[in-house]
Amino acid sequence: MFRKSWTILILFLCLGLLFSGCPKKTVTMNEAAVADEEAAAREKARLEAERARQEQELKAQEEAARKAQAETEFEKSLVAKKTPGIEGEVLESSLLKDIYFDFDKYDVRPQDADILKANATLLMKSSTAKIQVEGHCDERGTEEYNLALGERRANSARLYLISLGIAADRISTISYGEERPLDPGHDEEAWSKNRRDHFINLSK
Amino acid sequence: MRKYLFPFALMFLLGVTAPSEARVYLDINAPTLVQIPIVMPKWKAADRTPPSVPEKIYEVVARNLTLSGFFKVIDYGHLPPALQKKEGIPEGIVLQEWIPSGGEILLVGDASLEPQTLTLQVRFHFFDLVEQRHLIGKQYEGHVQALRHMAHRISDEVVFQLTGEKGVHTTKLAYTLLQAGGKEIFIADFDGDSLKQVTQNQSINLSPVWTPDGRKIAFTSYLKRNPDLYLIDLEGKNLQLFSHNPGLNVSPSWSPDGKQIALMMGMGGKSEIALIDTNGGSPKKLTNSHGNEASPSWSPDGKSIAFVSDRAGTPQIYIMANDGSNVRRLTFEGNYNTNPSWSPKGDRIAFCGRVGGRYEILTLGPDGTGLQQLTNNSGNNESPCWSPDGRYIAFSSTRTGSSKIFIMNANGFNQRPLTPSKGGESSPAWSRRFE
Repeated sequence: MFRKSWTILILFLCLGLLFSGCPKKTVTMNEAAVADEEAAAREKARLEAERARQEQELKAQEEAARKAQAETEFEKSLVAKKTPGIEGEVLESSLLKDIYFDFDKYDVRPQDADILKANATLLMKSSTAKIQVEGHCDERGTEEYNLALGERRANSARLYLISLGIAADRISTISYGEERPLDPGHDEEAWSKNRRDHFINLSK
Repeated sequence: MRKYLFPFALMFLLGVTAPSEARVYLDINAPTLVQIPIVMPKWKAADRTPPSVPEKIYEVVARNLTLSGFFKVIDYGHLPPALQKKEGIPEGIVLQEWIPSGGEILLVGDASLEPQTLTLQVRFHFFDLVEQRHLIGKQYEGHVQALRHMAHRISDEVVFQLTGEKGVHTTKLAYTLLQAGGKEIFIADFDGDSLKQVTQNQSINLSPVWTPDGRKIAFTSYLKRNPDLYLIDLEGKNLQLFSHNPGLNVSPSWSPDGKQIALMMGMGGKSEIALIDTNGGSPKKLTNSHGNEASPSWSPDGKSIAFVSDRAGTPQIYIMANDGSNVRRLTFEGNYNTNPSWSPKGDRIAFCGRVGGRYEILTLGPDGTGLQQLTNNSGNNESPCWSPDGRYIAFSSTRTGSSKIFIMNANGFNQRPLTPSKGGESSPAWSRRFE
């Protein structure tokens, strides 16, 4: 009899517990689950952000490395040049290509636009280097008119580079007229090489 | 047979010059020029004067008269034997006996050197052999170091007596000469002698121009890595930076009153014609087109400026008023006309034009009429400039290979190189007379 009553008591107690505690406990468990999910999401977002940040950092590092490499490459390509009778030392780069002009013309030829774009890309990578565009002519025609023509040829390239995003104050011009031929010959082959814009680096 | 005797002693006492009727033997403006044959017997060394002294004067005068283009000099080496022996200024002269020489003018002279002071005295006389009369006699005195200068003044006098205007034998020419590592400014006398280097900086030195007083040369140099305008004296000293606008500062042309300078100046990325005061001040832009403007040249009356512009697509000569107004195009023939140079008398403009693929020297009236081509099919000919009397034009030519300075009479006759150099010369500029 005594055992039976204990059993019933326990049973009641259990029921009581069931009726009083169970709903409560269920609620508690649900809240915990939601919190966990939120935390997980937060963590995920954090990780993702972290990953993104790391990726970005890596990208930036890679970009900086690339730029540094380009800059190094550009800087490595620079050769100092001193001309007697002309003040200062300039730097020349084989990566900055000359452009050429038709006889008596000063407009940039369509086939030379890509050269100017490549020059511009190079110049944008290399921070703040000041450059000078030299306008040159072939020996034909008169010295003074050729000086005017060279001035215009240099300015044609300057304006083109500015239109591609190079800061105007980074580019100056100088006309050498027919005074500095690249090829000393007296035929069209020489002349076509001499009608040119040459780009030099004035920094340092 | 008429004999002409002249009392020389009396003449010198009276003060050297004898009045002569104003007869112009040569009309230098005639389209074709006939050269006057002028006979020159040997000049005599008086007293103990070394014979080399009159010989040198004789040589310079004979060469000058030849270079002038007005004369055909018959020197004593080409005279009949009987005349070859005659020298100096005889006490009495029989003009008739000089007829076989073939000359129309007879020029005789002597020189004496005072050994203590080295004072040189040169006397000369000349006669018209056609009309059998004395024209003039003169005497010059100076230090023997000025021998060449005295010979130049004698030549000027002969030219004056026979053409009505003095010669330009005391003038000089400035020009550029290629040197190892640069292009330098040089000056030489009209006869190519007394060559002198003015700049010595290994830079690119261009477009020399004489200042109106003849004491300095203006030129463009790249010394400061920009084509700036400088002044320098004839000894190559006192270099002075004159115009240093970023870009071109080239081709100055002084206004006839000497107060202003027109020049090519880089403005806004292209060449313009600008005016600056000789006393300084900011430049005033005269041209206003989309073209390239070059090489201004003042008219001698100071009212106008000739210049080059390619505003119509090709370089052509234009004329504007000295304030930039009233622009009119002067040249229409050919597609390349540059380097205008206004003659000192105002009647012609010389320029360089491309004719049949070559660059030639041409002249034209300021009204656009009377086009004349002075060089023809012998190399490229550029940069014409006038002598101060307007009777000669200096220019550069590649006819003998490398570019050299040439001089010709304003009608294109008598083209000859200034010096016997190998070449590399360009941009001649003619000085005023140095008397």
